[in-house]
Amino acid sequence: MEAAALAYLAAGLGAGIAAIGAGIGIGWLASSSMEGAARQPEAAGDIRGLMIVSAALIEGVALFALIICLLLVVLV
Amino acid sequence: MTTRIRSAAALVLLLLGASMAFPATPARAADGDGEVTLEGIVNNTIIGHATDGFYLNLKPFGQPELPRIMLARNESGSLTLDIYGSTKSLLKDGPYGLVPHGGEDGSHGDLITAGAQLEEAFATKEHLHSSVARTSGHVVVDLSITRHLIFALRAMVIVGGVFIYLAQRYKNGTGRMEAPHGVLQNMMEVMVVFIRDEIAKPNIQGDKWRTFLPYLLTAFFFILVANILGLVPFAGAATSNIAVTGVMAVMTFVIGLLYGSADHYKELFTGPPDAPGFVRVILVPIEIIGLVMRHLALAIRLFANMLGGSLIIFSLLGLIFIMNVVFGEAVAWGTTIISIGFTVFILLVKLLVAFIQAYVFTALSALFIGMSVEEHHHDGHDSASASTSGDIESRLDAVEDAVEPTPA
Repeated sequence: MEAAALAYLAAGLGAGIAAIGAGIGIGWLASSSMEGAARQPEAAGDIRGLMIVSAALIEGVALFALIICLLLVVLV
Repeated sequence: MTTRIRSAAALVLLLLGASMAFPATPARAADGDGEVTLEGIVNNTIIGHATDGFYLNLKPFGQPELPRIMLARNESGSLTLDIYGSTKSLLKDGPYGLVPHGGEDGSHGDLITAGAQLEEAFATKEHLHSSVARTSGHVVVDLSITRHLIFALRAMVIVGGVFIYLAQRYKNGTGRMEAPHGVLQNMMEVMVVFIRDEIAKPNIQGDKWRTFLPYLLTAFFFILVANILGLVPFAGAATSNIAVTGVMAVMTFVIGLLYGSADHYKELFTGPPDAPGFVRVILVPIEIIGLVMRHLALAIRLFANMLGGSLIIFSLLGLIFIMNVVFGEAVAWGTTIISIGFTVFILLVKLLVAFIQAYVFTALSALFIGMSVEEHHHDGHDSASASTSGDIESRLDAVEDAVEPTPA
């Protein structure tokens, strides 16, 4: 395989794995916060705010990976 | 019946818009092989539309080029400022040439400065997508006005205009002496109060949020307006540029450094209190790297979210043209229906993301600023806190004694 093909393959695989990781992380976060909100509905507002901030932190890591994948595609 | 006609008309308009957003032959087709390639679609059309550029894309009404301003060092070694009205005039009248394509290993041929080749580049708009270089000397800084700068300025003007107008109203008494009046004032007051009560106050210790509230509000409204401008036809999101988000993250970083408390710096450079020496040696570099990475992630998050949204839309629409190249016209028509449906869905998600990302940037900025301005009181040797807590302790003892006299 030539180098460009390998780079495209790596970018695709990397994007997929990053999406899996972020999906597991955010899914876990959402399940826990829903459980929390169901047990204590009066805290639902606070939980929602915390959930968005934590989701953004998880997403940030996944987006790092995606940017690297994008750079692989664009720069090769 | 009329609603059905109207929705059909809307679909046709969307299809027309999609076909106009993508020129039938990408510029790569002019290179000689004479056919539309997948690479051409991806590189010139999708990436070219989502990233920054030196022209405004008002496709059915033309493509105005933006001024080019170059700070360059000429052949005699002195700095000159070259200002031209457009990339075209820069290439035609200035000492600049087009860097030709094809030099994959970095060794490109001679610059295209004049002649038929340049005219061909103008005709295919190739000059807007490739880089320019000075024929003698070299460019120090490219200060050209770009598309994203125009969008950012537009967002600034909107935010400035709205809030100067509203501040005038508050000064005249509306909203202070009486209830806020009108849609604009009510809507903005809700958002401002939300930022103050839900973002600034919980994250920043004590009364210090007053210092940072103006920055947080400015960041929130600028990002929000810039994000929403990305959904307006013929405009784009200035926040889908890493330079814009990077500068905003640097502002948060600098504010955190300037207003950082002594406790924060002590912990940053000497590690956590009462930790053994070898742990400190490991923890101090981690703390410092973590501080920088936090703010880097702040920039990357906003940038990647906004760029990702527009890339997904362009990819969904580009799928139609890729299908046309690969499988033929019938498949392309089938893909069109699916693509347009998904595009509308993604546009709605982008509207949600515009608000969420503005909130997230502001909340994380407040969190990081709050972390660096925080002062610790649990040491116990601090004179002020020790004396007040001692006071409370002795008073509590006195109360206890009064309530339950100890039999002694």
